[in-house]
Amino acid sequence: MSAADPAAPRKAARAESPLREAWVMFRRNRPAMAGLALLVLIILATLYGALLYGGDPYEIVWAPHEPPGATPEFPLGTDYLGRDIVAGLLTGGGPTLAVGAAAALLTMLIGVTIGALAGYFGGAIDNLLMRFTEFFQVLPALLFAMVLVTLFSPSLTMIAIAIGLVSWPQTARLTRAEFLKIRKLEYVTAARAIGARDGRIMWRVILPNALPPLIVSATLTIGVAILFEAGLSFLGLGDPNTMSWGLMIGANRAYILSAWWPVTFPGLAIFLTVFAVSLVGDGLNDAFNPKLRER
Amino acid sequence: MAGYLLRRLAYGLLLMAGVVILNFFLIRLAPGDPAEVIAGDMGGATAEVLAAIRADYGLDQPLLVQLGRYLGAMMQGDLGESYFFNRPVSELIGARIGPTILLVLAAQVISITIGVAMGVMAARKPNGVLSGAVSVVATIGYAVPVFWMGIMLIILFASIIPIFPVEGMADIRLRNEGWLERMIDILHHLALPAFSLAVIFLAIYARLSRASMLDVLGADYVRTARAKGASERSVLFRHALRNAALPVITVAGLQFGGLLSGALLVETVFNWPGMGTLAFDAILRRDYTLLLGVLFCAAAMVVIANIVTDLAYRLADPRLGGET
Amino acid sequence: MKFARILGGVAALALLSPFAAAADGGSLVILSTQTPRHLNGAVQSGTATAVPSTQLFASPLRYDAEWNPQPYLAESWAVSEDGLSVTLNLVKNATFHDGKPVTSEDVAFSIMTTKEHHPFKSMFAPVETIETPDAHTAIIRLSKPHPALLLALSPALAPVLPKHVYGDGQDPKSHPANSAPIGSGPFMLESFTPGEATILKKNPNFFREGYPKLDEIIIRIVKDENALLIAMENGEADIFPFMTSSNSIKRMQGVERLTVTDQGYAGIGPINWLAFNTKSEKLSDKRVRQAIAYAIDRTFITKALMRGVAQPQRGPIIESSPFFDASIPAYDVDLDKAKALMAEAGFADGMELSVDYIPGNDEQQKNVAEYLKSQLKKIGIEVSVRPSPDFPTWAGRVSSHDFELTMDVVFNWGDPVIGVHRTYLSTNIVPGVIWSNTQSYANAKVDEILNAAAVEGDPEERKALYAEFQQIVGDELPIYWLNASPYHTAYDSRLGNPPMTIWGPMSPLDEVYWKEPK
Repeated sequence: MSAADPAAPRKAARAESPLREAWVMFRRNRPAMAGLALLVLIILATLYGALLYGGDPYEIVWAPHEPPGATPEFPLGTDYLGRDIVAGLLTGGGPTLAVGAAAALLTMLIGVTIGALAGYFGGAIDNLLMRFTEFFQVLPALLFAMVLVTLFSPSLTMIAIAIGLVSWPQTARLTRAEFLKIRKLEYVTAARAIGARDGRIMWRVILPNALPPLIVSATLTIGVAILFEAGLSFLGLGDPNTMSWGLMIGANRAYILSAWWPVTFPGLAIFLTVFAVSLVGDGLNDAFNPKLRER
Repeated sequence: MAGYLLRRLAYGLLLMAGVVILNFFLIRLAPGDPAEVIAGDMGGATAEVLAAIRADYGLDQPLLVQLGRYLGAMMQGDLGESYFFNRPVSELIGARIGPTILLVLAAQVISITIGVAMGVMAARKPNGVLSGAVSVVATIGYAVPVFWMGIMLIILFASIIPIFPVEGMADIRLRNEGWLERMIDILHHLALPAFSLAVIFLAIYARLSRASMLDVLGADYVRTARAKGASERSVLFRHALRNAALPVITVAGLQFGGLLSGALLVETVFNWPGMGTLAFDAILRRDYTLLLGVLFCAAAMVVIANIVTDLAYRLADPRLGGET
Repeated sequence: MKFARILGGVAALALLSPFAAAADGGSLVILSTQTPRHLNGAVQSGTATAVPSTQLFASPLRYDAEWNPQPYLAESWAVSEDGLSVTLNLVKNATFHDGKPVTSEDVAFSIMTTKEHHPFKSMFAPVETIETPDAHTAIIRLSKPHPALLLALSPALAPVLPKHVYGDGQDPKSHPANSAPIGSGPFMLESFTPGEATILKKNPNFFREGYPKLDEIIIRIVKDENALLIAMENGEADIFPFMTSSNSIKRMQGVERLTVTDQGYAGIGPINWLAFNTKSEKLSDKRVRQAIAYAIDRTFITKALMRGVAQPQRGPIIESSPFFDASIPAYDVDLDKAKALMAEAGFADGMELSVDYIPGNDEQQKNVAEYLKSQLKKIGIEVSVRPSPDFPTWAGRVSSHDFELTMDVVFNWGDPVIGVHRTYLSTNIVPGVIWSNTQSYANAKVDEILNAAAVEGDPEERKALYAEFQQIVGDELPIYWLNASPYHTAYDSRLGNPPMTIWGPMSPLDEVYWKEPK
C-alpha cells in the first residue's frame, strides 16, 4: 500500500521500491501471471519455433487443404496451396508481433511527446496541441491507415507507421492528464525552484512519476496494434511477401466453406496473443493501483 | 446551450474540412490514377482517350486548383461525381450510409445493453464467481479480431446451424413484399454482423460499468439510501445505475470512431452494403472523389456522435444540468 | 435459415402461384463478382456491363453456339461480292422501351457512336458511312473488306441505342442514360444500384414473339467467394457465370441441384499468359524466352495448380476458335533443352528476373507467378515475385513497360481482329495503354500477315494467314500462352435454355425459362 502513497518522497523516481512493490503485487495476481507465461511462450515460439520446426512456410509441401490430424507431418493441416500451417504460424508470428510492438512504440512516442508538452506548458500550447489531437481523433482510423498503406507500398514498416499515426491521440490525452496532475505537485515546484530546465523537469521529474498508467496503456496499445495489423492484412493490404497471421486469414478466407482450419488457427493465435497481452496489462494496472485491487 | 452547440458545430466543420484537405493531398500523391482504372475497365484505351478522361475530370489541372474547386463545390453541398460510376458522390453515399448507421447503432445498442447488464451483475458481488466470469468474458471479447469472429460465425451458421443468413442485408426477391416482411428480413440479416461488431465493445462496457458501479455503490448517498431502507432493486437502478451511466456515455462517444473502423471489417466479411465496402472499393479503384466523400462523411459521423454524447452527458448528469 | 425458408417460401408462393401452371414467368437471380460502371455496352467493354447491356439493348445480329450469325434486329443481311458493303434488313416491329420504333437511323447512329467511343477501335474502323435508304434498311459501307464485321454486330459489341436519347449532343461515355438505359432488348431496367444490384423486368413489347420467357432478372454483385457459393447453395441465386476458381467450380459441382458447364465462353476467348518484355536486355534473345517456355510445365499448371478445371492454351488464338492452328510448337517440358538454350544465349550462369501479376485472381495469376519462382530456379533463373496492391498499380507498371515478366489475362473477343491483333502489331506499341502491345514485340512480317488477314474475305485464306502468324509468334514467343481461363457457369438444373452460345451470358437471355416452377 505504501508504494503508491503520493506523499512519499519522489525525488528519485528511479528508486526501485515502487516497481518492486508492483512486481510483488503482480506476482500474486494469478490471471496476470498466466498471461505473462502465455506471452513469453508465444514470443519464444515465434522467435525460435520456426528454427526448431524447420518447415518452410512458403513451400508447397502437400496436397492443398489437408485437414488437421490427417497427416502426422502436418498436425494443423495445409492451406489452399498445400503449405504447412504450423510453419506459417511459427513464421508469421514474428512479423505480427514486431509490427504490433513497433506501432505501439510509435504510438507512445508521439502520444507521450504531444501529451507531455500540452500538459506541462498548458495555455496556448496545450490548446493548439489538443486541437491537433482532436483532429486525429475525428480522422476515420482504419480508412486513413488504408489510404496510407495503399499510397506508400504495403510494407510492414508502412503498416506500423500507419497504425502509430492513427492510434496516438488516446495516449496523448492520458499523458496530458497525468502531466497536468503531477506538475502541480510539490516536488515539481521544488525542482523548478532550484532552476531545473523545462526539458529536465518534464523527462526526469514528471515522466518517471507518470509512468505507471503509461506502461499499462502501452501494453494495451500493443494488443490494439496487433489487431489493427491483422485487420489490414485481412483486407489484403498487408505485405504479401511476408507471412503474418493476418495475411494467413486473409489469403485463406475464400475457402472457409471447404476448409475451416487455415483461417481458424491464425485467428486463434492472434486472439491468444492479445488475450495474454491484456491479462498482463490488467495485472499491471492492478499492481500500480493497489486500491483498485482491493475491491 | 444553443451557443455552445453552435460553437461545437462550427469547430466540427473545421475538423471535417481538415480531414478532407489532408486526405486530398495524400491521395493525390498515390501512384496510379483513375484515368488508368477507367481505361483498364474499358479493356485498354489509347493515349488520347486517357488524356481526354483526365481533362474531363480536371485531373490535368494543378493540385491547388483542383483542391480549391473541390472545397468550393463542397461548401455548396456538392461532393462531386464518382470517377468510376459517373454518378454524384452524394447519391452513392446516400444509398450506403443507412446500412452503416443501422449496423453501428445495432452493435452499439447490443453492446451497451449486454455489457452494462454484465457489469452490474458483476458489481453486485465483486468477488463472486459471476464477477470473475464477467471479467474473463470481457477480456476474451476484447482480444478477438472482429473479422475473425465474423468468419467463425459464418462457418458456424452457413453450414452447421443454418438459422441466420450470412451475407447481404436483404433478400432481394422480397423487395416487393410488405414493410413488415422486409423489416423482419433485414433484422434477420443484421443479427450476425451486429453481434460480431458488438462483441469487442461489449467487453469495454462490461468492465467500465463494473468499475463505476463499484465506485458508486461505495458512495455516501447510496449508503444513505440503503440505510433509509430502500430496496436493493431501487438502490441499484434508481441511484447507482444512473450515476454509473456517465462514464458509459462518455466512452460510447469516444468509441464511435473505433466502431466505424470495426464496421468496415464486418461489412467486408458479411457483404453488408455499407460505406465501408464502398470506401474499400473506392481506394482500390482510385476513385478519389468518392473516397474523399466517404472520409468526409465518416468524420462528420464522429463529430456528430461526439456532440450527441456531450448532450447526453449533460442530460444525464444532474450536477452539470443544474450548475451550468 | 428455417425461418428464412418459411418466409421465402411464402413469398415465392405468392409470386409464383399465378404462373404455376405455365412454363413462362419467374425470376432469375444472376450473381456477378464484377461491378459495372454503367449499363451501356456501346462505350464500355467488359463482362460486368455486357451482361445487363445485352438484356437491355438488342443488336443487329446474335450468335449460336457454333459461331453462326443468327437474325436478331436484322431479319436478314447480305455481304456484297467485293466485301465492301453489308446490307441489314431490319425487323419491322421492333420498338424501344419508351415505345418509339427502332429504325435504320438508330442502327447507323449506334454503330458510328460505338466506332468513335468503344475502346475496341478495330471493330468498326473500316466503316466509312452507313446509308439508310428506308426506315428498315441500313447499308454499311467499308473502306476495305472487313470479315470481322459480322461478329462485331453481336449483342455484346453493337448495342443499338435510341438516337432520340443519345443524339442530344452529350458525351455518350458519361451520358446520364447510361445508368438508366432505354433499349429494345427483351428486358427493361427497373433499378440500378451501383455496386449492389441491377434489376431488370420483362419487356412486354419485345419484338420476338413469345419472348422473353422470364418475368425478371436480378443481377446481384457479391464480391466474397463464400457468399457467392452460399447464395447458390441455398437457392437465393440461380446462375453464377464467369466462375474461374477451382474451389468454387468443384464446390458447385458437388451440389446436386446445380449443373456446371464450361460452355458459353468461346466468344470471349480468355487467355491466361506469361508476357515477356522483349525490350529487356535479358529477354530480347528469343532463345531465353524459349528456354523459359521449355522449363514451364503447362500440364502441372492446369492439372495441379488449377486442379484440372482449366484447359491448356498453346497459341495466341483461343483453341476453341476455328482460326486456332494446332500445329503451333507446344514447348513440352524439357529442362535439358532449356538449359542448353540459356547457355547458347550466353546465360549459362543464369539470371535474375522479376514477375508481376494482376492482383485479385490468385489461382490464375499469383499462384502461377509463385510457381514460376520455384520452377525457373531449375534452369538457373532467380525469379522474384513483385506484387501489386491493386489493379491500377499493376496496370501502371505494365503499360509503362516497367516490367520483365508479367502474368496477364487477355480476351480474344470473338474475331482475332478485335482481340488478338492488338497484342502483336508493332503499330500498337503505345506506352501508357494497358492491353496494347506492351511486350514491344515488332516483326514486320507479322504486321503484314495480320493486316492482310484483317481484310481477307475468304475464310480458308484467312485461316491460312493466321496459321502462318501463329507459327511465327510460336517461334519468337513474345508471350508464352499457358491456359484458357477456366470460365464456368453454375446454374439451377431446372433452367431451360441456359446461356450456351459463343457469347454465353453476354447475349440476350430471352429464351431462358423455368422447366418447372421454382
